[in-house]
Amino acid sequence: MEAGNPLLDDHVLSLGSARAGWARSEERPRVCFVPTASGDADHYIVRFYRAFSSAVCEPSHVSLFRRDRGAGIDCDVASHLLEQDVIYVGGGSVISLLGVWRAHGLDDALAEAWRRGIILCGLSAGSLCWFSEAISAFHGTPSRVEGLGLLPYSNCVHLNDEERRTAFRRTIADGELGAGYGAEDGAALHFVGTTLTDVVASRQGARAFRVDRHGETPLAARFLGTSPVALVA
Amino acid sequence: MTRTILAMGGGGFTMESDNTALDDYILTLADRREPRICFLPTASGDTERHIGRFHAAFGGRHCEASHLSLFRLGAHPVSIRDTILSQDIIYVGGGSMHNMLAIWRVHGLDRILIEAWDRGVVLAGLSAGAMCWFERGVTKSTGAPTEATGLGLLPGSLSVHRDGEPERLPFFREAVAEGVLPGGWAVDDSAALLFRDRDLVRVVASKPGRGAARIDRGGEQELEADLLGTGPAELSSMPVDIAEYRLHRRARG
Repeated sequence: MEAGNPLLDDHVLSLGSARAGWARSEERPRVCFVPTASGDADHYIVRFYRAFSSAVCEPSHVSLFRRDRGAGIDCDVASHLLEQDVIYVGGGSVISLLGVWRAHGLDDALAEAWRRGIILCGLSAGSLCWFSEAISAFHGTPSRVEGLGLLPYSNCVHLNDEERRTAFRRTIADGELGAGYGAEDGAALHFVGTTLTDVVASRQGARAFRVDRHGETPLAARFLGTSPVALVA
Repeated sequence: MTRTILAMGGGGFTMESDNTALDDYILTLADRREPRICFLPTASGDTERHIGRFHAAFGGRHCEASHLSLFRLGAHPVSIRDTILSQDIIYVGGGSMHNMLAIWRVHGLDRILIEAWDRGVVLAGLSAGAMCWFERGVTKSTGAPTEATGLGLLPGSLSVHRDGEPERLPFFREAVAEGVLPGGWAVDDSAALLFRDRDLVRVVASKPGRGAARIDRGGEQELEADLLGTGPAELSSMPVDIAEYRLHRRARG
């Protein structure tokens, strides 16, 4: 949901379509937005429906702060999530996100969705949450947070922010944090099972890294757009 | 140090834009002439709408108004503990009691609020922000009324919106009768219970006809509220502590 750049969203939709095809022999993927980390902010939900309109998918969203539970949901939230092709988790506070999910049992529902082959995706807090542990700078100084642990690595996002990048490298070098993956804005890590299979980017030059005790290794990222054509005069 | 909690069944700036009596009363509960009051909108997901209304309601009053948004600490990193403990009043908004307590716990805010209460910071709130101080409450966070566990600073159960959401009351009565919930209070919108330490000392209301009831296994007792802003001149000019003390004595005979 980057302003003016639909490349990552289109990529998510194409992954969703493939899943809709093999799971239900349908073309239009079911995409559910989970904006818990923002406190279910209305403006964020509106942005989701703009990016994932019913022209390209079957969109819905889950709101754990509203009595109606969201939109497009006609059963309990956990069952709804298990009927999706894509679960898209928005950014915000990862600590609040995990606290609310656990209180509603959504941590178990999302792990089950993952086991069923539903594509879990998200940005920022919506990325950190899938890993065993993460560095979050949401509450000031970058600090360690425990995630759902579907991916047995550490994670750090917004790596173009120098303070976070340094904190990520240092805590891993010090052994406070296990080895893991970090991504800059516009770069995304694609895991199948627990194996990293692809690194894609919506911005040219956006990078991702594997970081372990010995340092960071850049990962080749595939730009999702077409390179500007050089015009010959 | 007297510990103070004002539990509103509903009302205040998020529910009664035309009536400031309960919010005015909250400001009188602090010892300071211009109290520092901090709004905690966690239960609503820190909606901008509630935060905006809080500042509109308290910005022009004799107080220092601020809010703490746990969902936006990224943009405004502050120490949660220092922020809470430096207040005279914490005002907790309504919304999902379930989510609010879960979020408070992961941030350690539950323990900080207990510490604040022990230090004499006035805790006030409506709906979820009222039930959270009791052992148990009746939440509709997930649709139908169901029981929820609070922080347990105050003994017993609380059910809110007695008049505005009447479906809570039969559930509450039955849960108390069956022993699922301990006895406690059911409070109307625009009415509030004032506790000093763990004792109910006063019932107040911003509108006539609003009140509360004590509900136990053995029966119910209607509690009449003092109508705020229109009370006898003697009481309204009297320091609030003394007025309450007298009322308390009168009630005990």
